Amino acid sequence: MIRVALLLAVLAAGPVAAAPATQQEVEESLTCQCGCGLTVHSCNHIQCSSAEPIKDEIRRRLTAGEDKETILAYFSGKYGEKVLSSPTMRGFNWFAWVTPFAVVLAAGVAIVVVVRRRVQVRDDAPAPPPGGDPALRERLERELADLDRDDA
Amino acid sequence: MHDLGRLAVCLALVCAVFAVLASAVGALRRRGELVRAGEHAAYATFGLVVFAVALLLRALLAHDFSLAYVASYTSTTLPTQYTIAALWGGQQGSLLFWSFILLLFSTVVLVQNRERNRDLMPWVTATLMVVSAFFLGLVTFITDPFERLPRPALEGSDLNPLLQNYWMMIHPPSLYLGYVSASVPFAFGIAALATGKLGDQWIRTTRRWALFSWFFLTLGNLFGAMWAYEVLGWGGYWAWDPVENAAFMPWLVSTAYLHSVMIQEKKDMLRVWNMVLVLLTFSLTIFGTFLTRSGVISSVHSFTQSGLGPFFIGFLLLILLVSGGLIVYRLPELRTSGTIESFLSRESAFLFNNLLLVGIAFAVFWGTVFPVLSEWVRGVKITVGPPFFNRVNAPLGIALLFLMGVGPVIAWRRASPKNLWRAFAGPVLSGLVGTVLLLLLGVPLGGAFLTFACGCFVMGTIVQEFWRGMRARQAMLKERAPVALARVIGKNRRRYGGYIIHVGIVAIFVGIAASSAFQVEVRETLEAGEEMTAGRYRLVYERVESAEDGHMHSLAAVMSVWIGDERIAVMHPEKRFYKKPEQPTTEVAKRTTLREDLYLVLGSFDPQTRLVTILAYVNPLVVWIWIGGLIMTIGTVVAAWPTLVERRVAAIDPAVVRGAEHA
Repeated sequence: MIRVALLLAVLAAGPVAAAPATQQEVEESLTCQCGCGLTVHSCNHIQCSSAEPIKDEIRRRLTAGEDKETILAYFSGKYGEKVLSSPTMRGFNWFAWVTPFAVVLAAGVAIVVVVRRRVQVRDDAPAPPPGGDPALRERLERELADLDRDDA
Repeated sequence: MHDLGRLAVCLALVCAVFAVLASAVGALRRRGELVRAGEHAAYATFGLVVFAVALLLRALLAHDFSLAYVASYTSTTLPTQYTIAALWGGQQGSLLFWSFILLLFSTVVLVQNRERNRDLMPWVTATLMVVSAFFLGLVTFITDPFERLPRPALEGSDLNPLLQNYWMMIHPPSLYLGYVSASVPFAFGIAALATGKLGDQWIRTTRRWALFSWFFLTLGNLFGAMWAYEVLGWGGYWAWDPVENAAFMPWLVSTAYLHSVMIQEKKDMLRVWNMVLVLLTFSLTIFGTFLTRSGVISSVHSFTQSGLGPFFIGFLLLILLVSGGLIVYRLPELRTSGTIESFLSRESAFLFNNLLLVGIAFAVFWGTVFPVLSEWVRGVKITVGPPFFNRVNAPLGIALLFLMGVGPVIAWRRASPKNLWRAFAGPVLSGLVGTVLLLLLGVPLGGAFLTFACGCFVMGTIVQEFWRGMRARQAMLKERAPVALARVIGKNRRRYGGYIIHVGIVAIFVGIAASSAFQVEVRETLEAGEEMTAGRYRLVYERVESAEDGHMHSLAAVMSVWIGDERIAVMHPEKRFYKKPEQPTTEVAKRTTLREDLYLVLGSFDPQTRLVTILAYVNPLVVWIWIGGLIMTIGTVVAAWPTLVERRVAAIDPAVVRGAEHA
């Protein structure tokens, strides 16, 4: 199950963009400083005194051939790190990204370990007579199916 | 009159505190009359708060500007419905309103359980009244809604224009209902821990409350999303704002609980875990109120900020300490004998479902508080915004979606190759057919693709379940197909109601994936008569229209919308300029079809050049999010509808039931 989840996680993360950054991409990586709490891209205040100049600046820098990293570094220097719409992957911020997955993985591993231990305990227990009574077996199947009923 | 309001609130607080003490002492000393006195005090608290709410409402409607609250959140020109909504539009009022709903629910619980659950009830009353007393304490000592102005204002400063929207009538109350009703399962959980009656009794009693709370949290979240979509005008519906997160987290944990409680009911497992989920859901509702009201984490929802933070943190710590302590104290009795025999089993699928739901809740929590953490640790302010939440939650969400196709059909205990084949041949085929179709349609590989493919797999599971249930009845009872389908649902309401809810969730997943991955966005400045293209639409800017009334004036661009040579609509994206307070708002023009929304925003208008800037968004499949919500509503009604047996039991005199229980 975990392997499936991991595979899905990798697939869902999608191909890492290698293409040149677009205006929208850079705008989405920056937070509007007008207090709206949205990204520069999403802020639609009329003539927003923060988003509009930032958008112009991005346009200018992209035309000048700067890449996303450089542009973000510029804005980060100008407004402080809070202008970035998500934490960097460096230093303490690294924990922001890793912790959720680490916690889910650790809890998943814990579940696996606990379940496996219990499964083994049961396997060590004396095995029931092989084959068993067909009538009993049938009853077991029926009762298991009954578990799905509401009033079970 | 103000003093009357204050007096009512103060007395209510006194009654609530008395109810707590009487119930607790009554339970510990086994004094029935004290327990009853506690319950009566709870009713009295409710009566007093109803009175206080009525007074505040009357002051609002009478435009009594000698009250600071009325002067801050209304005006004489504010339409009546928003004057009523101002009751929960500001902090003081919203906390009073919260107490009101909590006491309403407490009263319902007390009346429902006059003859039932007598062993649990003193602690249920005490817990509910502790929570009530906390909120009433805030209303009494910290944020008084009946505060007088030194001199009455001549005119009020009005409700925030962003809140002057019909969603204001719907979204906050639904969210409050969801938040506050989470207190009921919490109270019963505490009562179960306090009394040591840890069996199914408290869980069965609160089953509907948990579903009720979950349902209104669902609605509250969706209404909030719709509101943001229609009003904020940035083309999206969810910005991972701290307050949105605050409403989303309890929903996730509550969803986890609704699933794992089934394992407890059927297999008597996970007692500790379920207790933890109930306590966590409640704590998260308090945390959510804290986020909304404290302004600790900056948010577009922080309409009012205050010094309430420390009180909420204190109360939260108290809840966590007491409930955590009780769980530890009862740990030996909470241990259960049930075991999991295999990874390929319903039980373990539910465990992983819980892992993911709580994992997502944790990720959201972590992202929400990380800026505070960063400021503590590094002294640097940072932002954790939508890109973070989208990237972290997308994989977890898709994994969850996948599990939704596994959990309902995998065998209990241990799936054999034979029943795996029987259970999954259909769904897997459905998923594969979906994948091939998506490839043929040219959908690019990525998160959205995976979501759609998983969606097909899940739908395969659900359709197969309905189909098999119906066929079984047809074969056994020779019923016609529609009759068989209706009866199979009617006989297993929780199960099939749950499946219907799953269909709604799939629709929401699809809507979110499509609208976030394939949104088209165009922004152009136009002269009258000029046109722009967005997706398959041609948009021609005709002219501007303006209008004015005493409350605001508005400016709308008239846009005719063409597909090919056919004019399909005329749309009016609009800006409104409210007079009090002077603030512009965006009125989005939206044309919704099942396939996509065309969403137009008037960015700006220059009166000199008469140029307009139009933002046009084409949001594919977005309407499916709201349809999903509707499907979930239907599913919830099906699941919550009383079964025949329950209706019969309810019809019997409770005294008889009690007699039978003692027999």
